[in-house]
Amino acid sequence: MSTRRTVTLAVLTGLALILFVLELRLPNLLPVPGFKLGLANIVTVYAVFRFSPKETALIVTARVLLGAMFSGNPSALIYSAAGAFCCLAGMIALRKILPAERIWLCSVIGAMLHNTGQTAAACAVMRSAAPAVYLPVLLAAGMTAGLFTGLTAQFLVKRAGAGNRNGRFG
Amino acid sequence: MAAVKAKRMAVTAAAGAVFAVSLVLSVRFFRKSPHTLVEIVQDGTVIRTVDLSAAPDETIRIERRDGQSYNLVRIENGEIFVQEAGCPDQTCVHMGKLHSDALPIICVPNRLIIRFAEEDGT
Repeated sequence: MSTRRTVTLAVLTGLALILFVLELRLPNLLPVPGFKLGLANIVTVYAVFRFSPKETALIVTARVLLGAMFSGNPSALIYSAAGAFCCLAGMIALRKILPAERIWLCSVIGAMLHNTGQTAAACAVMRSAAPAVYLPVLLAAGMTAGLFTGLTAQFLVKRAGAGNRNGRFG
Repeated sequence: MAAVKAKRMAVTAAAGAVFAVSLVLSVRFFRKSPHTLVEIVQDGTVIRTVDLSAAPDETIRIERRDGQSYNLVRIENGEIFVQEAGCPDQTCVHMGKLHSDALPIICVPNRLIIRFAEEDGT
């Protein structure tokens, strides 16, 4: 990996973390455990369409690990990791069949997979099906939030330079 | 190209269906529970059962297994809620009073669940 590439990935990771920390400062919109706007996912969606799956996975891994540290809530790491990687796997599969005008859909489905993954992890950790009852609310709210973060990413992919899918800018 | 289009349609339809179903199911969350028997569950085991219609006001302190965190559960005027939590996100505190069968109070970091119990002659 070239230095230029490493730096670009690091900048994106930093951007994702800034959004993540910013979101922690916002009041909780819906008092349901696990619900978030997912602003950091704007970066993930952007990376899925502009970088290789491996590079995107690097960004997401770094963001999830550092995010758990910055939020001071390392016990939530397992849920956010489960969600983030389900979401990532789904979006990487989808980027092959979705055109640039449907990036928002990729994000909506990513949100759906994220919520499903984190709920599954919560059920496994708590050895109870109780967290699953939140799933419908989480999905309805999460997919709506995913629509807006997805649209943001879509505008970004369209406008951020004429770089090709492999992220060469300029 | 046709195959990709078909896949795209299928994916869009699936996402739409999931969204519609979860929206419909979400309605349940606003329905008030007719039950009064409440269970406090930690790590998958019921540690306490309270009948809200008869319980005196009380504050229960529940330590997490590793002792690193806690929840203060308050029973007041026949209602139950989390008053204080030793975690940064405070979601369980913001959830307020337990009111719906479908929406138990869950503190994910401390693995604590407060929910209405099935009333079958307990």
